[in-house]
Amino acid sequence: MKRRWAIFLFFMLWILPAAAAAEETYTFDPSETEKKPYHIGGYLEFKPVLFGLDRDSAFYQLRFFDNPRGYNLLEANGRIQLEGSYEKSIFRVYAKTNTDLKSSYSGESERSTFYELYGSVKPLPNLKFDVGKKTMKWGKGYAWSPVAFVDRPKDSDDPEQAMEGYILATADYIKSFEGPLKTFSFTPVILPVYDHVNNDFGNNFKLNTAGRFYFLLYDTDIDVMFLTGGSRPDRYGMDFSRNITTNFEIHGELAYFRSFQKSVLDINGNRHAVEGDAVSYVVGLRHLTSFDLTTIIEYYHNGTGFSVDEMENYYSLINRGYNIYQTSGNEAILGNALQMAEGGYGRASAMANYLYVRCSQKEPFDILYFTPSLTWMMNTDDQSLSLTPELLYTGITNWELRLRTALIAGRRNSDFGEKQNDYRVELRIGYYF
Amino acid sequence: MIKKIMFISLLIVSMASPVFAIDGKALLEQVDRNLSPESYESYRKLINIEPSGAKKEFTLFTVKKGVDKVASLFIAPASEKGRSTLRLGDNMWLNIPNIGKPIRITSLQSVVGGVFNNADILQLDYTAEYDVGKVDEQGKEYILYLKAKTKTVAYDKLKIWADKDKKLPTKIECLTEANMLIKTLYFKDVKDFGGGIVRPAVIETDSPLYKGYKSVIILAKVKKKNFKDEVFTLTFMSNLESLR
Repeated sequence: MKRRWAIFLFFMLWILPAAAAAEETYTFDPSETEKKPYHIGGYLEFKPVLFGLDRDSAFYQLRFFDNPRGYNLLEANGRIQLEGSYEKSIFRVYAKTNTDLKSSYSGESERSTFYELYGSVKPLPNLKFDVGKKTMKWGKGYAWSPVAFVDRPKDSDDPEQAMEGYILATADYIKSFEGPLKTFSFTPVILPVYDHVNNDFGNNFKLNTAGRFYFLLYDTDIDVMFLTGGSRPDRYGMDFSRNITTNFEIHGELAYFRSFQKSVLDINGNRHAVEGDAVSYVVGLRHLTSFDLTTIIEYYHNGTGFSVDEMENYYSLINRGYNIYQTSGNEAILGNALQMAEGGYGRASAMANYLYVRCSQKEPFDILYFTPSLTWMMNTDDQSLSLTPELLYTGITNWELRLRTALIAGRRNSDFGEKQNDYRVELRIGYYF
Repeated sequence: MIKKIMFISLLIVSMASPVFAIDGKALLEQVDRNLSPESYESYRKLINIEPSGAKKEFTLFTVKKGVDKVASLFIAPASEKGRSTLRLGDNMWLNIPNIGKPIRITSLQSVVGGVFNNADILQLDYTAEYDVGKVDEQGKEYILYLKAKTKTVAYDKLKIWADKDKKLPTKIECLTEANMLIKTLYFKDVKDFGGGIVRPAVIETDSPLYKGYKSVIILAKVKKKNFKDEVFTLTFMSNLESLR
C-alpha cells in the first residue's frame, strides 16, 4: 500500500515541473486533428484535507466514540482515473476506472472500481444503443437532481465530480423538427437488480424500467421521466431549463414518488417504517453579470427527507448511545444509530428544505484562468449552514489547482451543527493526461 | 427658384446613388458565404496569450448547418477533451463529460477563458443575427455598420471592414449599444482550403477590457459537409466524436 502511494506521489511530482516548463510557440499541425480509433487518457488527483473536529457533535460521537481524536484530523487522498475507448465502424467500447486512495488516522485504504464500462452501437445518426455500466445523469439541477432516477445521488458539496454508473441497457432515439418543437428524443433504460448486479440500487431480483422523453419546445428544454420495476418505489418526474436572456437561465425539477418508505425514529427512540407518496423539487437560476460574476441559486425541497423532529430524535439517540457507551461500554445503541445513518439519516441533504447559492467570479484583476468562488448552503428548516470559499486556477495546461475551506455553522441539534467538523481545509491538485 | 432647388436635389441624389447601389444585406450574405459554406466541418486551434507570453491552447472540431446550428467538440488539451458545445439560434449548451448532462450557457460567458467568448466560438452567420444599417466605402474596403436583430445577441453593434474584391472581412469591431468597444477581431492569412473555400485562416482578437491579452483562432481542414439535423441536439452532444 505504501509503495502504491510512493509511486503515485512520484508521478505527481515528476510531471509538475515538466508541465510548468512546457512553453512553446504556437503552430497548427494537421496531424493534431487526425482521429485514432482508440483513445487513452486519465486523471490524477492528490488531495490533502485538514478537518477541524467538533467533538461535541452527534456525528463526531457516532464516528469516533471508540477512537477519540484531537481537535484536528489530517487526511491524504489520492485518485487515479483511467479512461479508454476503441471505435470501429458503428461500434464503440468505453471504459473509465476509478481508484480512491486514502491515508488517515485509521490507516490506509484503497477502493478501485469501474465507473463506466459499456459498449455502443450506432446504426443510424439518430439512434444509439448502449449496454454496460454507465452514468445517465438526468436532471437540470446543479447541486441536487431528484429526477436522476437511475443515478447515484449527486454530491452537492462537489457536484462536478465524476460518478459511478449502474449496469444497464439503454438507447437514444433523436428526431429534429422545424417549428416550435425543434427536438424530440427518447431514452429507454432497462436496469436489472440481482446478486452482484446493481445490488446497491434497491430490492433484489427485479428488472426495472425507466425512460426519459426530451423536448426542445419554444426554446425550452423539457424532460419527462419515470422509473418502475420494484427495486425502488415507482417515480415520475419532469424538468425544464430555459434562457430568459443571454445571461439569465432558469431551471427546475419535480419528482413524484409513489409509496415511498422510510425508517424514522419517534421521540422514545423507537424505529418504525413510514410509507406515503412524496414530492421533491428543485427550482434554480443561473445568472451572469457584465463583469463575469456567475451566480447559481437553487432551492431544494426533499419530500423524502426527515423533519426537524425526526432528526432531533436521531441526534438524541446518538447522544444517549454515546453516554451509555461512556459509562458501560455498551455499543448497541450506537450500532443501531450507525445502521440508521447508512439507511438515510447520515446522507448529505437528509432533511427537507435547502438553499444553495454559489457565486464565482471569472478572472478577477485580469488574472486569466483564476476563479474564486463562494458557496453558501443552508438548511432552511433549522437555519444551519455551510460556507465554502474556493480558489481555482487552471492556467497550466492540463493542471487544476483548487484550494477550498468549508466553514460550518449551526446550533446543537441542527443539520450542519451536528456534522463531525467545524471546518475543513482542502487542497486539490489535479492532472489530466 | 423651385426649378433650381429641384435641380440641386436631383444632383445630390445622382451623386449619392453609387453608395445606395450597394445592397448591404446582399453584401453581408456574400461575406458570410465567403467565410464559410452554409454547412461545413472544420478544425480550429484557439490560443490564449497572456501579457507574460504564456499561452494556453485548445483544439476544437466544429460542425455547422444552416444559419443557426453549430456544434463544437474539444479534442485537446486532455483537461478539456470530450467537452462539447451546441448552439441552436440563441440557445447554447455545454456538455462536460464528468457532469454528463448538457448545461445551458450564455453567449457572453467563455468556455475557454481569455478574450473569445461563447458567441465568438459558436459563431453563426452574421446575417442570422444582424441587420445592415449602412455601408460606407473607404479606399479598397467597405465598412458595414451592423445592428443586432434582438437583445439576445452578444454584441449590440458590429463594424465590419471588408475587402472590396474578395468580399472578406479584414477587421471587425464589436461594440455595445453605447458604442463602447468590447473587442476587435483581425482576419489574416487568406488561404485556399480547397473546394472553393478561400478565407482568412487566422483570426486574432484583442480587447480594451483585457489589456495586454490576445487570443488567436487558426483554422484548418474547412470542408463543405452536410449533416442531419439530429446532430445538433442535446442528446447527440456526447457523440460528436463519431462525426470525425
